[in-house]
Parts: sequence; C-alpha cells; structure tokens
Amino acid sequence: MVGTPVLFIVIPLLAAFIIPLTGMVWKNSVRIIPGIVLSYMLILSISLLWHITETGTVIEVIAGWKPPIGINLVFSPFSGFFATLMIFLGLLVWVYSYKFKRNIDSEPALKYFILLMLLVTGSVGIVLTGDIFNMFVFIEIVGISGYGLTSFYTRRDSAEAAFKYLFMGSIASTFLLLAIMIVYSQLGTLNIAEIADKMPMMSNKLKVISLIFFMLAIGVEAEMFPLNGWAPDVYTQAPGPIGAAFAGIVAKAATYATIRVMFTMYDLSGAMDFLIVMGILTFIVAETTALRQDRLKRMLAYSSIGQMGLVMVAFGIGTKEGIFAALFLIFNHAIIKGLLFFSGSYLVYTKKEKHISDVNGMGKYLPITSVLFTIGAFAIIGLPPFSGFWGKLAILTAAADSKMVALIAIILSVSVLEAVYYLRVVNRIYFFPKKESMETQKPTINALIAMISLGIIILVIGFYPDLITGFIDRAAADLMDKTGYIKDILTINN
Amino acid sequence: MKKAIILISLTILGVYLIDIFTGIGFGTQHFASGVKDAYLIGSKETLRVSNVVTSIVVNFRGFDTLGEVTVLFLASMALGGILYKKRHDVGERSVLFPSTRIVMSGAKLLFPSIVLLGAYVFIHGHLSPGGGFQGGTIIATGFLLMLITYRNYSVSHNRLSWVESLAGVLFISLGLAGYFVHDSFLANVFPEGKLNDLFSGGVIGIIYVAVGFKVAAELTGIIYTILHEKD
Amino acid sequence: MEKYLEILNYAIYGAAILLLLIGLYGALTKKSLIKIVLGLSIMDSGVHLLMISIGYLKNGTAPIFSPGHENELAKMVDPVPQALVLTAIVIGFGVTAVALALVIRLYKHHNTLRIDEIKNLKW
Repeated sequence: MVGTPVLFIVIPLLAAFIIPLTGMVWKNSVRIIPGIVLSYMLILSISLLWHITETGTVIEVIAGWKPPIGINLVFSPFSGFFATLMIFLGLLVWVYSYKFKRNIDSEPALKYFILLMLLVTGSVGIVLTGDIFNMFVFIEIVGISGYGLTSFYTRRDSAEAAFKYLFMGSIASTFLLLAIMIVYSQLGTLNIAEIADKMPMMSNKLKVISLIFFMLAIGVEAEMFPLNGWAPDVYTQAPGPIGAAFAGIVAKAATYATIRVMFTMYDLSGAMDFLIVMGILTFIVAETTALRQDRLKRMLAYSSIGQMGLVMVAFGIGTKEGIFAALFLIFNHAIIKGLLFFSGSYLVYTKKEKHISDVNGMGKYLPITSVLFTIGAFAIIGLPPFSGFWGKLAILTAAADSKMVALIAIILSVSVLEAVYYLRVVNRIYFFPKKESMETQKPTINALIAMISLGIIILVIGFYPDLITGFIDRAAADLMDKTGYIKDILTINN
Repeated sequence: MKKAIILISLTILGVYLIDIFTGIGFGTQHFASGVKDAYLIGSKETLRVSNVVTSIVVNFRGFDTLGEVTVLFLASMALGGILYKKRHDVGERSVLFPSTRIVMSGAKLLFPSIVLLGAYVFIHGHLSPGGGFQGGTIIATGFLLMLITYRNYSVSHNRLSWVESLAGVLFISLGLAGYFVHDSFLANVFPEGKLNDLFSGGVIGIIYVAVGFKVAAELTGIIYTILHEKD
Repeated sequence: MEKYLEILNYAIYGAAILLLLIGLYGALTKKSLIKIVLGLSIMDSGVHLLMISIGYLKNGTAPIFSPGHENELAKMVDPVPQALVLTAIVIGFGVTAVALALVIRLYKHHNTLRIDEIKNLKW
C-alpha cells in the first residue's frame, strides 16, 4: 500500500498551495509538479484498487471521528473504478497540454495547471466522500475550477460560456443546499450511509421533494436533458483538452453522484422509469441535435451529452447487467471522447469558427491524428473490434434480459444517427479536397503520446475486454450491495 | 409572457417550500437522535473547545473547511486567470473621487485597530463567536479601506501569495501531523488543555489562525485584482 | 390571537423563502449582468437564512460553553447548520467573485452589460 484515500485530496491541495511559491523560483515547476502529483494519484489509486480486491472496501475516517459524526472517505470497487478512470484521464489531459501552452506566459500557465489539477481532485473528492455536504463542497470546487478553465482563452466568447455555466451552477448549488437541509432537518445526519439507513423515517412528501431538488442540482453537472444548456457552449469555448476533461471527468463524477443519491440514499433499486425516460430523452434530443451541428466541437459536445443519456438508461434498467453496461459505457466514453476531443482539436486547429468542413482532406496532412480520430469515431459508434462495441453490446443484452424491446429499438435507431454524423466527418477527412485557407498544425510529441495511448487502449480493450470486465463486475456488484455499504461504514471500528 | 411564466412557476415553488418548511416546524427539535448531541458532548469533553461551531468547522467537519479554503484559493486563481493581462497593461486603480484629508487620517487611524480586531477574532475563534473566516474578512476590510482611500497604496502580490501559501501549507501539515501520529487526517496532536482557556483545543486554535491569515490574504488579493481593472 | 402568533413563528421561514424567490426571479428575468449576479447572491442569502433557522430552538442559547454555563447542553441550538452556513457563505462569496470577474471581461469585450446584446452564443 502506498497510502490511504485521504491522500487523493490532501496531496494535490498541498501541491496547489506550494506551486505559486516554487513558480517564483523555477518557472517550469508550475507545469511539472501537477504532472507528478497526478501520476502519484494514479499509482495510489491503482495500488488501492489491487488492495481492495483482497481486503474489501477501504474506509477512512477524518479527524478520528467515526462515520456518523465525522467525515469519511470510501474507496470501494465502485468508487475506486471511477476515481482511477478520472485520474488516468486527468493525467492524459496534463500530458496533452504540457507543451500546448508553451507560448503563453508562466502566470496563466500556473493558473491553468492548478485549476486542472484541482478539477481532477474535486471530481475524485465527489466520488470518494461519504458525506453529502462534503460532496457539495467538492461539487463547488469542480464548478469554480470549471468556470476558470472555460474562460481561459481571452479572445473567444469564453467568458459568456463560463457565465452561462456559472449561472446554472449557482442555481444548482442553491437547490442542493435546500435538499441537504431538508434531509438534515428530518434525519439529523449528513452521512450518506446513515441517511440511507434512516431514510424510511422520512415522510414520503419530503422524500420526493428532496429527491427532486437533488436531481435538479446534480443534473446540471451530469448534463441531464433539460439542464444541459450550458454544456455545448462550454465544450466549444474551453481549450481543447478541457473539453475532454469535462466529458471524461466532470460528467463522470456527477453521474456517480446521481447514482449514489438515487441508489444508495433513496433506495430506488429495480427498474427506475424516471432514469430511463430522462436518459432516453437526453439521448434522442442530443443525438438529433448533434446531427445538425456544423461545428466539430459542438457536435462532439452533443454526442457526449447523448452518451451520458445512454449511461443513465443503463443505470435505469437497474439489473446487475444494466449497471455493468453503464460502467462499461462510462469507461468507453471517457477513453473515446478523450481521444476525439484531443485529435479533433488538432484537426481544426487554427480556425476561429472550427467548422466541420475545416477537416476536409486532413487525412493527407495529419495522417496520425486523422487515423486516431477515425478510430475514435468508429469506436464510439460501436463497431467491432473497438472497445465501444462491447459497451453497446452490454446495454443491448441488459435491455434484452429485462424484456425492454422498445428500448432496444430506440437505442439501435439512434445509434444509426450517431453513425451518420461521425462517418460524415471521417468521410470529409479522407475523401474531400483540403481547403486552401486552412493551415495545418502538427501535433506536438506529448499530444501524440496522449492520443496514441488512448488509441491503444481502445484497441486492446476491443480485442481483450476481459482485461477490465473483472473490475467492472466487482464495481457493479459493489453498487448493488447497498446494505453492505451501510454496514461497512456504520460499524467501522477505528 | 416569459416573466409571467417565471412568476407563476416561482409562486408554485414558493408555496411548496412554505408548505414543506411549516411542516418541518420552527424552533423545535426536529429529529430524535442526530449527530448534534455527539458534537456538543465531543466538543466539551474530548476537544475542550467551548465554541461548538468552531470545533465542528475545524475538527469534526474539518475536511469541509479544507475544501472551503480551497474554494477561496481557486476563486482567486480563477479571478487572476479571467482578468489576466500582461504586466505593462495593468491599469491605474479606478478612483471615483479623491479622498479628503479627514478620510485619509481616519483610515490611517482605523487601519491598525481593524487589523487588531481581526486578529483578536481569529485568535479567540475557539472561545467566542468568530474564527478564521470572520477574522480574515475583517482584516481584508482594513486593506479595502486603505486601498480605496489612498490612490497609491499598494499591496505586494508576491507577499500575499507567500502568506496565502504558507498558511495553506500550515493547515495541511497540521492535518498530516494527525495523519502520521494518530493515523487519521486532522486528528489532534497537541494537548487539549482546559475548557475556556486560550490554549485549549490543541490544533484547532492554530488551524483557525492559519485559516485567518489565508482568508485575509486571499480576500485582499481578490479586492486588489478587481480594483486594478482599467475601464 | 393565538393563531396569528402561530403564523408569526414562521415569519423567518417566509422571509427566507421570499428572499430566495426574489433572487431567483431577478436572476431569471433581469437583462443586466450585474443584476443577475445580484439576484444570485440574494438567492444565496435566502438559502443561508433558511438553513440557519432550521437549527433554531425556542429559548435556546448559542452553542458556546461560556464559563459558568457549561452544562446547558439541552438548551443549545443546533450548531451543525451554523457550521454548514459558514461553509456555504464562503463558497457563495467565491462564486460571486468569479461571476463579477466574468462580468468585467464581458463588459470589456462587448462594451455593454445588457445580456440581450451580448448573445454570441445561444442562450
């Protein structure tokens, strides 16, 4: 063991406080230290992930107070899976943008890397914490670093996108506080496990209203259907790699929060029509909107929202297969959307508007990037032999097992739409003549490393899905075992 | 039209909220057994901190406070990023009207006492109402007063970052001390002392002083950045 | 008479909820960016007031063990909402600061504070 879960939060914060000082002495440290910290977090999470296969869930208490009193961090197969995935993606975003920002001054670089590191830390905190108010604090950490990162480029309309995000985010946090206070006023506790344990004591009316407030609040970050108006603008205006970070890290953490609240706190197991309906709505609306977009990043953003809708559907099916499918889809989405955002940023590098037609003929000028983008596009559509295929297959099997035929039909037909707009882009890359005005920008070596490693993962998982199904299986089983979660936390002897 | 729809939906929300909260009740004990009693007893018996809110903020739920401090840190970082400009672009401070001699001497007189009050508030955070956030804010208002009174009063940005970073590091290292000694982050490593003594509560008082410095430095930094915007 | 006094008891909830709704209304309908930010802060204050009044106990005392009153545990108001409100206020402050910075940027970029003149993106 290299450490305990609390170090996931403490080490990055320590680094964040120190970096402004080292930056005065050694300019490059503002770029290097976040990378070291993220690598350390990755090593820690992988070693903990191995550790818990033997010993079971690791629960750590803060300040020596046992769970209902103090705050606790839970590293279970389920939360550990999310944490590892998010940290890995955060590290790749760091690798990708290490040189990307070479031309800017050291002060914005300092801010960029600290905000990126704390975005990852906050998301990991959302996933690990066992306390509902602590989750609120981490959601705000993610929110503020998100606003800062979105408005990073001063010449775009980024401030407007960030303001939109902030507007939604603050209304969401108000509702989150309301929901937390309603729950606290009834149960007198803020610990998720104890809330789940005492939930039957709450009257049905308060249960429903507080759940609605929770969903309103977390749905904003999770990009659920009527609440995702901010997402496409933020994805478009933020620096390229940050789009990947939003899709792969923030949306994942918020999905985790949704699931924790619905499954564990409110005990809505079994088929959850609400989640299925919201997920399907999100999926259909987002994918049809994506079809109409003429800017690459906006298209990717809507596609990302649609994928998260599909994840919601898979969770809503509620069986163990459904959750397995959801987790597989989450894994795929993080990896593949990361690759698409990374390579897409280079395909439309110089133009301000970043139209889809700008990718015309890039296959000749940026061969590696184009191939990687194509791999990503094929994978997200769900073509075999890429990892995306197994995710789609898993959700279709889960739906078939639950006898939801209409669901299968909808998923398949919307997937065709998805295939249409991705293949359209791939077609443009290879078979259209290049626009004269379009300049090309060769990817830097570290960006290539980040993209190629994602591409390799997509291929390897495509051929050997067994490499991760073990982890996903354990994670799904862990989520289903609600009483185990409550018992583990409330009877910890420390 | 849009306003009407919003008004109606807000009315519905309001009626719902009033219904819920009257149902919850005001001024009564809402729940049979909560963490509240554990906090009250723990604060008195174990931590020996007379202000229970302080012991919750710094110890029982100290992790929240760490996040909270981070939020402020992030806000000042994000602010600097959003309003970033090259050194030679930094504007004169916008001044609405020059301050008179009375204001100037008044500010000079008040400034030390404001800082002293702030320091008192965060040093006694575990004994009386107040604490790091409140004290830090009071100190920042002192700097705000000086900044708007004197056109050429300036605070060194580097010095602010030093205070901010060192205070943050002190907070985390006290937490880590608990982690290495008692195996639990933020656990108390110093003797608790006697209830209602200035030196009681172990690390709690020290952490709150660190928070006070950090908040003061961050708020001053934020005010300073916004004041130096050219229009 | 008794009945009216009963309603008075809930005045603080009413005030808090009213603040929340006023803030939300302002944030949703006003066209000026500054007013939107103001609306968001008013909404925050409403929630904070609501949170803190949940912890109130009739005839309760502050949760501080002042010398000579060390054994009045049962009379103390709930300290937890107070601690949470402290956190929430600080977070609200951070968000407001970032929002104002964004407003400054938007004003410089578009030379206006009216949101209907800024719309480069779809709202």
